[in-house]
Amino acid sequence: MGKVKNISGCVAVANGVRLADVDVICSYPIRPYTGIMSELARMVADGELDAEFVHGEGEHAQLSVVYGASAAGARVFTGSSGVGVTYAFEVYSPISGERLPVQMAIADRTLDPPGDFGSEHTDAECCRDQGWIQGWASTPQEALDNTLIFYRVGEDPRVLLPQFACLDGYFVSHILGPVDIPEPEQVKEFLPPYKNHHVLDPRNPQIIGPQIEPAMGPPLQYQRYQVLKNVFKVLEEACDDFARIFGRRYDPYMEEYCTGDAEVVIFGQGAHMETAKAVVKRLRNLGEKVGAVRLRTFRPFPTEQVKERLSRFKAVGVLDNSTNFGISGGGGVLLSEVRTALYDFGDKVKTVGFVAGLGGEVVTHDEFYRMFQKLQEIAKTGKVEKTAYWLPFEL
Amino acid sequence: MSSNELFIEPNLKQITVWSRGVIMNKDARDVVVALTEAASKEGKYVQAWENYVDLPDRINVPVRAYARISSDPIASRYVYENEAPDIVVVLEETLVKGVPVLKGIKPGSTLVVNTRRSIDTILKFLGDTGNLGQIATVDASSMAEAVVTLSGSEGATDATGIGAGIAAPIAGAVARVTGIVDVENLARVVKNPAAMRRGYEEVQVRKLEVRPVAKESQTTAKELLRQMPFAGTVPSPQEENEGMVTGNWRMKRPILNTEACTQCWTCWIYCPDSCIKKGEDGPLFNLKYCKGCGLCATVCPTGAITEVPELDFED
Repeated sequence: MGKVKNISGCVAVANGVRLADVDVICSYPIRPYTGIMSELARMVADGELDAEFVHGEGEHAQLSVVYGASAAGARVFTGSSGVGVTYAFEVYSPISGERLPVQMAIADRTLDPPGDFGSEHTDAECCRDQGWIQGWASTPQEALDNTLIFYRVGEDPRVLLPQFACLDGYFVSHILGPVDIPEPEQVKEFLPPYKNHHVLDPRNPQIIGPQIEPAMGPPLQYQRYQVLKNVFKVLEEACDDFARIFGRRYDPYMEEYCTGDAEVVIFGQGAHMETAKAVVKRLRNLGEKVGAVRLRTFRPFPTEQVKERLSRFKAVGVLDNSTNFGISGGGGVLLSEVRTALYDFGDKVKTVGFVAGLGGEVVTHDEFYRMFQKLQEIAKTGKVEKTAYWLPFEL
Repeated sequence: MSSNELFIEPNLKQITVWSRGVIMNKDARDVVVALTEAASKEGKYVQAWENYVDLPDRINVPVRAYARISSDPIASRYVYENEAPDIVVVLEETLVKGVPVLKGIKPGSTLVVNTRRSIDTILKFLGDTGNLGQIATVDASSMAEAVVTLSGSEGATDATGIGAGIAAPIAGAVARVTGIVDVENLARVVKNPAAMRRGYEEVQVRKLEVRPVAKESQTTAKELLRQMPFAGTVPSPQEENEGMVTGNWRMKRPILNTEACTQCWTCWIYCPDSCIKKGEDGPLFNLKYCKGCGLCATVCPTGAITEVPELDFED
């Protein structure tokens, strides 16, 4: 066991990066993730971490710097928020396609307009199809732990993929919470040194990401499609080892809360699901059979596990903290993906979407209460009158 | 019924035109556009396009333009290449050497070559003509000049018009020996109908015996997947790039007069492709990659290097 301290999610992530002993960091400031880089800069300046700290001229440069450094064999870290995440968009696909296990922290921020520091998952979810591993932490502790788990999974020779380690801006990134900071010896046992299949080296020149003819497209993309499937087994192993070494057990896919005999659950990811758990606890005291399921791994989407675990409930409410304007069903990406996963069960499991907390607004206890009431009504009547509700206007 | 039979288009004629980047790729495009425009006037379904994978902005690189003409609506519209041409046109004679211009041709197909050389000479370079049913030659370059322009490249509108250059006599020759379009309709679409009619009149043709050819096996997608290196990463070529052999870009070969060579090595410095090595009697040319740009001959202070047409050599 390490020391327990009350620190922010930003400082927790910085400690994870320090413990992972990264070689190259590239920064560019934008709230709310900036605190991670401030803390890392301090660590490098104070001699707590021996790493190259490069300040990019923008997010596109940030991702390009770590892209090259990772290809040259360095363990790298970068991060961003909101429009910073979308500005770097071009570089995400090359990094995953060339199988470079870059780690990027995303502390969510609403995309413009309006100018808003508050958190929405839209920025990170925009990048969901770029071939990266992606998942959300809901506490500073989990943010630190995910940093280590993601490096371990991404750098595994069976995987070699970059990772978006996401945390809700402000809620997780800025509010202090208790964090057990591991000892470096524990981390050494958990995380072996980074070694890629191909390393840029002038003595053995290679072309990464060469120009191809269209006929080479299907096999190259199929390789990328297949490798994401390897993530599940490696992630399970990593979570087992993590529990053994650090004493904290994470379900690789989703955390279930009071689901044993639950009839209805709310399914979502990130900070707001901690509020959902608090609401479940109160409702349980009243004897209501409600529960919460918090997704930890969003990419690759654990279709089989979601299917298996959600099929036992009468109604599932899917919370999307994002704007997906014009999407089928009018909810968000999570609703779409959960509905696809559950499609084979037909009418057995009712699903309904809730879009809430936009612009970084708090999702209140009362709003969760109304969501659970709606779910219980659906479970009772068996009727889904509306695919998705935008809170607080429609529910 | 196999799917090959199910999707066959019996009335579809495929025309492939071979040419060279920049110096005459506009004329290649003009041949297919002129023929399809003329066919359009005859109520045919047509499509014309340039090869998308070739590099038409590189001088002298082999490039292709394609036409499809049919009395039925064309079902196979979205393809990269003509997989089985009925008509092959070679706009620059050196392409018959070292470029597989007859690849995939249908039994009884036609080859038309822009050359002043004899049919026998061209046949010598072609080797086994397999499915080819007739060969025709026309000295189009003596009837018109190639129009060098980038107008109309990348699918843009060609502001210079169609069929002012060597495309006109070539299109005329194709109309004559294949009957793919009526010469009068062609005359209505080209800018230089007089040159077109000269090509039509002066083309020489010889029938050939169609010989059976072994069917080429294609690499399957599964085989490509097996061969695919990790993340597509490949070792970087350090001296010679087998994936980019450029010797067939060459129309003229550099020849050294060793008596005139002073071994100043100016050519060695200037060769943009590092194709010159220092030999005991002067420069040695790497013909596998030499594009025939002629820079060595231009910079040689003693005139020791001359450029000789590639078809003057059998090797």
